[in-house]
Amino acid sequence: MTAQEIRLCGLLLQEHFGEVVEKVGTHLLRRGAQNLRTIVQETNLSVNLVKKCLCVLVQHGACCFTSGRKGPGSPTEYRACSDRILRVLRYPRYIYTAKTLYGDTGELIIEELLQRGHMTMSGTVKTVADRLTQNMEEGHSMDYSEVSSAFSKLVETHFLQRCPPVGGAGTSGTTAPAAAPAAAATPAAAVSVAPPTPESFPECYSVPHVSLIGRGKRQLVPENGEDQRNAKRAKMDTETHGDEGIHWQVNFERFHQHFRDQAIISAVANKLDQTSSEIVRTILRMSEVTTSATAACTKPLSANEVFRSLPASYNIPRHILDQYLTLLVDDPMEFVGKTGESGGGMFVVNLHRALANLARATVESIVQERFGSRSARIFRLLLRKRHLEQKQVEDFAMIPAKEAKDMLYTLLSHNLVQLQEIPKTPDFAPSRTFYLYTVNQLPTARMLLQNCYKTVANLIERRLFETKENKRLLEKSQRIEAILASLQASGAEPEQLSEVEEMISAPEKQQLDVLKLHVNKLDSAENQVDETIFILESYVSSTSTS
Amino acid sequence: MPHLEPQQRAMALNKLLSLGQLDLLRNNSGLLYRLKDTQSASKMKGSDNQEKLVYQIIEDAGNKGIWSRDIRFKSNLPLTEINKILKNLESKKLIKAVKSVAASKKKVYMLYNLQPDRTVTGGAWYSDQDFESEFVEVLNQQCFKFLQSKAEAARDGKQSPMVQRNSSFATSHEVWKYICELGISKVDLSMDDIETILNTLIYDGKVEMTVIAAKEGTVGSVDGQMKLYRGVNAILQPTGLVKTPCGLCPVFHDCHEGGEISPSSCIYMSEWLDF
Repeated sequence: MTAQEIRLCGLLLQEHFGEVVEKVGTHLLRRGAQNLRTIVQETNLSVNLVKKCLCVLVQHGACCFTSGRKGPGSPTEYRACSDRILRVLRYPRYIYTAKTLYGDTGELIIEELLQRGHMTMSGTVKTVADRLTQNMEEGHSMDYSEVSSAFSKLVETHFLQRCPPVGGAGTSGTTAPAAAPAAAATPAAAVSVAPPTPESFPECYSVPHVSLIGRGKRQLVPENGEDQRNAKRAKMDTETHGDEGIHWQVNFERFHQHFRDQAIISAVANKLDQTSSEIVRTILRMSEVTTSATAACTKPLSANEVFRSLPASYNIPRHILDQYLTLLVDDPMEFVGKTGESGGGMFVVNLHRALANLARATVESIVQERFGSRSARIFRLLLRKRHLEQKQVEDFAMIPAKEAKDMLYTLLSHNLVQLQEIPKTPDFAPSRTFYLYTVNQLPTARMLLQNCYKTVANLIERRLFETKENKRLLEKSQRIEAILASLQASGAEPEQLSEVEEMISAPEKQQLDVLKLHVNKLDSAENQVDETIFILESYVSSTSTS
Repeated sequence: MPHLEPQQRAMALNKLLSLGQLDLLRNNSGLLYRLKDTQSASKMKGSDNQEKLVYQIIEDAGNKGIWSRDIRFKSNLPLTEINKILKNLESKKLIKAVKSVAASKKKVYMLYNLQPDRTVTGGAWYSDQDFESEFVEVLNQQCFKFLQSKAEAARDGKQSPMVQRNSSFATSHEVWKYICELGISKVDLSMDDIETILNTLIYDGKVEMTVIAAKEGTVGSVDGQMKLYRGVNAILQPTGLVKTPCGLCPVFHDCHEGGEISPSSCIYMSEWLDF
């Protein structure tokens, strides 16, 4: 839990859940596991507020609770996990992926679940159907069955999973009844210290039988006051559908696998050609659900199976496929490996090695953009040859001595390159020691990951600053829009509308446009840095498990 | 020479040695004598023993040359004497001084008509002790263009992938021939030189290399192996972090909220946003 991570988590919590939750969340991140009384004392908030914050955090999986350290009788302790909070940054990417794979229905399902944390299937289906109906034309509405089928498809491919049921042995913890919707999980003391993973339950991916017949309801034009109240509170449905207590959450690991597969496929497409990437895509698709998230390589697949599962549009004859597979295996990047000869050859995709190569390419590109292509040459040279003296660096890289020295020292000052001293004599006399330059990929990747977190936090802060600067203007434009909308709804004349529109002057409109442009740019930059974060994080976590 | 007695032989040999007509050498079984050809014998006429000694040391150093301090160690003569002798020999045009590329102040001495070795002058990349970086750059780009066009030609050929890949490879010999024919180099380049250039391309990430076994006697093979080079594309686009100003910021580590340099007041960000 580095300082940069905590800063970024604080900013994300503040944006998505508000200041109070942010206060509690950062406090928990800084101090580790604490019980309720300590939190209340140290954050100077009321007990009820703290309870509500903890509920929100638990609902979203950012906080987990365990029985106290002092034995079964002590109060429960709450611990926040920064990983889960950092995922918030990636929500847009998850939603976009769901949209590309499963269309608008899938997109809305994932969006609802991300917003609510946990939800039952029936609740999700109804909400999504209502939302879809809103956007359709008059007289059409969305059938529940369509949404249910999309939901089932998501579960089949493991993008959604059931929340693990919490153990029900004696309650020593105290948590207020949830204000958030449908949280039937009353937190009780868990039996084991570590929270059970969702996958340890056999029914993780089985869709319950739910009787959902009906269509989405279109929301009527609301009365002002009533709508405000209803928006915050979820509609407590009085019907039951047979799936009470079964809550679903988004399976982030599966999405990460998908992103990783996409990165590998695009790397193969860049390096070799389109057909090779299609072959790799087929292999990865066939091993989607059989490979665990931390496996080093996919399960071996025979060439026959690959041939049969190739998409029909790729009509390549069998011997050409064999040639492509041989080329993939021989490639120095080692994305694909051959593990046996049966069935025409057994092939695997080396996931960890592919991640290492992608991380290496990322680090190299960062060095290249930041310091120039000659420094990048030195960096790559050191990555390949491990340890080199200064003279050897100059010779291999064909760079004049003075410039090479300069570049090496710059890289050294930024900690991208390390110096290893090998003494000839027991006293490390400088004239009698070898000084070797070296690059370690893993610590460098970690360091750049922290830099990425700091960058994202900077971008968020800049965005908040920009909106704060122009707060007055934004509020004015919001007021005018609200007036316009109400006038239009009550059927006003065009003159009144244009009169209202003129309340904003042209320069102010321009300023608003500029502000919108800035905010969009900062947002998209956050997403781009998140891609880098994803590759570096996957690489670091893959090395820790292997 | 059986009709002479050993003592007479020894006397004659010694006289010839002192006249400088014979060279004295030693091998496992005993002493050997070699007749010096008259030309080299005449060169040293008029010089005394010390000069002859120094000359011999320099001759032994071959084409790597020898430093003045090493001459002093080997001959055990004082520094002033050495300097006088070296000046003498240089004026007689028997030896010359060559500046070493490794340490520019050091001068090594070698015989006048010898070519200095590569390690001293730095080989093809150095002209007059200066590293020719533009020359290297030009060669770099030419080799890369050659390999890239070969790879593209192979890709457009639309043949089976194996053939495609094999035809996109170029051996180091082919690249060497191409560069020689281009004629951009005033100096003759050997295949090793071209290989060092190709290695820098590998470190640039633009080229990859494989080694295959080749029959002895095929053109360009060294010890039964051939090196093949091939142009490649990068596997990743420039990553997201460098698309933001923070990724390239020179004062990244000094930036804190509320400090002199902070995200809210960052001038790089303002420029980037207005771009």
